Amino acid sequence: MSEKLLELKNVTIKFGGVTALNEVNFHVNRGEICALIGPNGAGKTTVFNVVTGVYPLTSGEITFKGVNLAGLKRHQVTKSGLARTFQNVRLFGDMTALENVITATDVHKKTGLLRALIGTPLNRKEERESKERAHELLALMGIDHRADQLAKNLPYGDQRRLEIARALGTEPELLLLDEPAAGFNPAEKVELANLIKKIRDKGYTVLLIEHDMSLIMGISDRVAVLDFGQKIADDLPTVVQNDPRVIEAYLGVPADAS
Amino acid sequence: MANLTRFNLRDKGAEIWAGWSRPVRTVFVLAFIVLIGLMPFAASWGPTSFLNTPITSFQNVLVYPVGMFIMMALGLNIVVGKSGLLDLGYVAFFAIGAYSQGILSTLYGWNTWEVMPFGIGFAMLAGVILGLPALRLRGDYLAIITLGFGEIVRIVAINLSVTGGPNGIPGIPNPPSVFGLHFDLMHPETFFWLVFAMILLVIWMVRRFTIRRPGRAWEAIRQDEDVAALMGVNTLVYKLWSFVIGAAVGGAAGVLYASKVMVISPDMFKFDVSILILACVVFGGIGNIWGVVLGAGILAYMPERIRFISDARQLVFGLVLIIMMNMRPDGLLPRKKREKITEKGAK
Repeated sequence: MSEKLLELKNVTIKFGGVTALNEVNFHVNRGEICALIGPNGAGKTTVFNVVTGVYPLTSGEITFKGVNLAGLKRHQVTKSGLARTFQNVRLFGDMTALENVITATDVHKKTGLLRALIGTPLNRKEERESKERAHELLALMGIDHRADQLAKNLPYGDQRRLEIARALGTEPELLLLDEPAAGFNPAEKVELANLIKKIRDKGYTVLLIEHDMSLIMGISDRVAVLDFGQKIADDLPTVVQNDPRVIEAYLGVPADAS
Repeated sequence: MANLTRFNLRDKGAEIWAGWSRPVRTVFVLAFIVLIGLMPFAASWGPTSFLNTPITSFQNVLVYPVGMFIMMALGLNIVVGKSGLLDLGYVAFFAIGAYSQGILSTLYGWNTWEVMPFGIGFAMLAGVILGLPALRLRGDYLAIITLGFGEIVRIVAINLSVTGGPNGIPGIPNPPSVFGLHFDLMHPETFFWLVFAMILLVIWMVRRFTIRRPGRAWEAIRQDEDVAALMGVNTLVYKLWSFVIGAAVGGAAGVLYASKVMVISPDMFKFDVSILILACVVFGGIGNIWGVVLGAGILAYMPERIRFISDARQLVFGLVLIIMMNMRPDGLLPRKKREKITEKGAK
């Protein structure tokens, strides 16, 4: 068995009377591309929010690299090696593409405010290195030519790519992608699929939420399915595809079966 | 008029600046510093004598309000402009600096230079005490808490005996001479040079921060605090730092102010000072150092210059504010469209 990088044990989230996640058990192995699918409102983004510390757990436990994430602040979760993108693009619009990524790389810097003021050699070195790293990541996403443009002025597709570059800027071990292909045309989706594979091949583990089945089936090592806050399937893409419960969740029960 | 709103002098200036080589820049900066340093003599020199202020002495006006307002506006700009935290009680830090000077000098005989680090320290401490609980809140709530804090400091000053109650503290000594420069009533120009030097220091500091990690963190917080946190920015710490650094600048201005005017009283630190400083920041161009300097300079100087119309003065002042904000809602010199928050070099 490969190492379980992220593990959710009996995770339950309640918002008042609404149970968004109900006793969800789920894990991501190191080095795989894992997909999280499910109908709208199934709780997929809630999983991301609870993992990154946006929502507190009602009950259950989340461990990352064997360490319990409970009680960690959002920036500490990010520092421990988890980074995410957002379903609705949420870039720092008034920063350039490059600055967006550099801001993310700051999380691992040793020098803070005081050494920035004095301008110690280490601070200068870190500033220089993160700029180089940011250019590398932009190049990886194929948008380095946009480096000096304001994020809000980028075309939609490039904004989505920039979000991934920014998340990679935090040097995550696990990358959480929330519907990265939303709004993409088929050609862009193929390109994105290749990109995600490339990211995995560079040593990152990827957990993605996606609605596009062909994209998911093409790149995922494993697919977990959520429906009404419960996990109803978790297996190889080909198996999940033919699981009657999954088909039921997506398409409903055929009239003659009931 | 439409052109006037679109035209961004800030970008134009940055463009020219970027085209200059290092020696040209150095010469320009030095010439600029010398020129500003000569400002106290502008009123008595023919061609620039129109700058002279009626009633109040021009040289004193340059120190207070002009120099002090610029300094405070630069400090407030770190909080409001850089990290987007609306602080309506900024005068509190100014007051804390001024009272540090007042109390430590009259009761313990410390001179201004000795008080300065403590005045700054007390203001920073107040920033932490206010910031730790307040910065967990956002937007309007933060504004209300800071507003309350500003009033609390003033009311405490009215009610304590060590602060002299409503009468304040008289007989605060001027700073002792350094390098043959005398700081007293006869030499307002040396005070101006002192304030000017401190303003330069603040500008240098803010520019340093802006192009490095703290500036990026503040900018990220200003634009989307939640995403900033999720991208690894320790939002509470950086918000607190911006608050505390802003407080330090206000405190330093306060220490200097008290040792210049020699008498302080609580009614010098009313809410309207906070608002006026905020107006300077917004009027000049929120987030942009040069805009803030220009805005504060104009708003501080103008009421003194038009003092001859006495009663109508505040009316004209208000009208100018309204007209200007309508024509240039982003301020005189708006934040650069593409504010640089990284350094040059590397690719």
